Amino acid sequence: MSIAKLENIHKVYHIGKIDFPALRGISFSIEEGEFLSIAGPSGSGKTTILNLLGCLDKPSQGKIFLEEKDITALPTSKLADVRRKNIGFVFQTFNLIPVLTAMENVEFPLILEGQHDPKERRQVTEDILTEVGLKDFLHRRPNEMSGGQQQRVAVARALVKKPKLVLADEPTANLDSVTGEEILQLMLELNQKTSTTFVFSTHDKMVMDFARRIIRLRDGKIESDQKVNKK
Amino acid sequence: MKMLFKLAFRNVFRYRRRTIITFSAISYGLGLMAVGISLYNGVDTHAMDNIINSQTAHLKILAAGYFEKKDEVPLEFTIDEPQEIKSLLKNNRDIQGIESRVLFQASIISGMDELPCMGVAIEPEIDPLVFKIKDSIIDGRFLEPSESKIILGSGLARDLGLKVGDDCTLRIFFSIEDFIWNALDLEIAGIAKTENPMVNRGTVFIPLSLAQEALSLENSVTELAVRIEDRRRLLEVRESIEGRLASLSKDYEVVSFEEYASDFKELMRMRSRMQALIPLMMILIATLGIVNTMLMAVMERTREIGMLAAMGMRKMEVMLVFIFEGALIGIFGSFAACVIGGLGGWWLEAKGFSLAFLGEEIAEMVSFLPMEVYKGDLTAGTLIFTFILGTVISILASLYPAYKAVKLDPIQALRHVG
Ligand SMILES: Nc1ncnc2c1ncn2[C@@H]1O[C@H](COP(=O)(O)OP(=O)(O)O)[C@@H](O)[C@H]1O
Ligand SMILES: [Mg+2]
Repeated sequence: MSIAKLENIHKVYHIGKIDFPALRGISFSIEEGEFLSIAGPSGSGKTTILNLLGCLDKPSQGKIFLEEKDITALPTSKLADVRRKNIGFVFQTFNLIPVLTAMENVEFPLILEGQHDPKERRQVTEDILTEVGLKDFLHRRPNEMSGGQQQRVAVARALVKKPKLVLADEPTANLDSVTGEEILQLMLELNQKTSTTFVFSTHDKMVMDFARRIIRLRDGKIESDQKVNKK
Repeated sequence: MKMLFKLAFRNVFRYRRRTIITFSAISYGLGLMAVGISLYNGVDTHAMDNIINSQTAHLKILAAGYFEKKDEVPLEFTIDEPQEIKSLLKNNRDIQGIESRVLFQASIISGMDELPCMGVAIEPEIDPLVFKIKDSIIDGRFLEPSESKIILGSGLARDLGLKVGDDCTLRIFFSIEDFIWNALDLEIAGIAKTENPMVNRGTVFIPLSLAQEALSLENSVTELAVRIEDRRRLLEVRESIEGRLASLSKDYEVVSFEEYASDFKELMRMRSRMQALIPLMMILIATLGIVNTMLMAVMERTREIGMLAAMGMRKMEVMLVFIFEGALIGIFGSFAACVIGGLGGWWLEAKGFSLAFLGEEIAEMVSFLPMEVYKGDLTAGTLIFTFILGTVISILASLYPAYKAVKLDPIQALRHVG
């Protein structure tokens, strides 16, 4: 089943009186369980696509479907509910709430979602943090952890509510290459284990290599869309 | 909800510098306000008490016509049978004391110096029931009936360089315009320093019989000063006195201290209008402090706000985090304000301060209030008011920054670098 579908999406940013077309007719569909990379140079429109998929923004033209449901016309407040339920985000930097511990950061989406049983919440949180290898860092604050560890917490937080779709915008851009690979490896493992759909953007060739499908962007258009077959 | 509160709570402690600035704005601003209110209340009640205790008593019985001309200290509106009135009111349980007095214009001459003053002829054995002159003798002793001695206000004595035991000349005016006067050479029995600087600066007390003789008044007096047991019953007592006096053939008027001191009342009213500005300014300072620091908080945490929004946090929830934050700082600050206000108010109430540190003469010039010592009056109400005000202000002042926070477009906020 298609998790998400973009249909002839155009996105125009208005900078003063100038209209800047960031996306110019993008169409593709994402199947459940995919591990998909949106690749392209800086300014090619990657973040814009992820924002649209993440219901943070609305297209200027075209339609967006999440699980075959048209979300294009939903009001902003409804979009917040869609995000809360269905989508996990991992950003490039400054992912975590600085005043909360790893545990509390991961627990946060569950609380927002309205899970009231604290015991159960803690259990789920602890499990997922253990899964991302941070069993011993549950009570650290973000500033007491390395960049890689912070990004692991972010991944755990994105996944904890078992979303339909995890969106990661250049999740490795602020990490050294070894740590970056570890994060990608982790995401891939979680993708396979939980069959959660991952979409991540990158301009890094090595990061792209983890993907099972790569959509290349250039100047707001899809340059290529290829499946990569591995073992 | 608990989560939002936890977030707010932690933020309060994380951004310490900002918290401290806001906290200080509230605690100092409102603390000083509380001290100011205490002082103001104190001045209000004590100044009135001082006037009552040294000048007006609670009620004055005057011959009809006197009150209108009271500023001229006339001698032609007299009460000719004070004893009759006294016995008429003898059975009134509300009355603590009634004293016959004569007020007259006078001056004191010592060597080459002469200073004008208010002459007050008193009944030394009754005066302590009505006024507090006797308690304020700082040197020498109080008057005895029908002796030929005087008591000088402390300021007057100082300005003339007179001490207890010195002789001086008291010039008693029948009429200032016509310059008709009588002079008496008298010894100073005591120096009075009341709580009321106006009295200390320009009053001389002499025994009633001496004044009546010097002014050829026979048994007449210019006023009967009445002190009552319970000030709250002022109106009733006044009415009952008026009722009693109606049976007499001559017309009298009964005047309360508030009417008698109406000039002072007016002064206080003007002052209170001016002083209302001070708390308002303090409130403004505290409000601006909070708005400013909370706006800084919103700017500083732009990305965090974007992230919270991306995670699907509702606008109301984001707002609440900031409002809680402001409210928390406000509550802490208000608490500290109450401590500052409480300590300051308590000190003012217990000790008070005098302007004497400016030097006695400057102090006399700048002090236009009938108070030697500025004493405060701290009430629980003041502290509760301060606390509630501080809390309400900080919540209100957080509204705008919180609104700013949710107005942020999450996409822009996330792109925000920093
Ligand atoms: N809010 C905006 N206002 C104006 N132009 C924008 C805005 N966001 C992005 N753009 C422009 O749109 C283009 C695509 O941006 P983006 O999606 O961020 O690309 P990428 O993530 O691939 O670097 C860029 O040229 C960028 O400058
Ligand atoms: Mg980008």
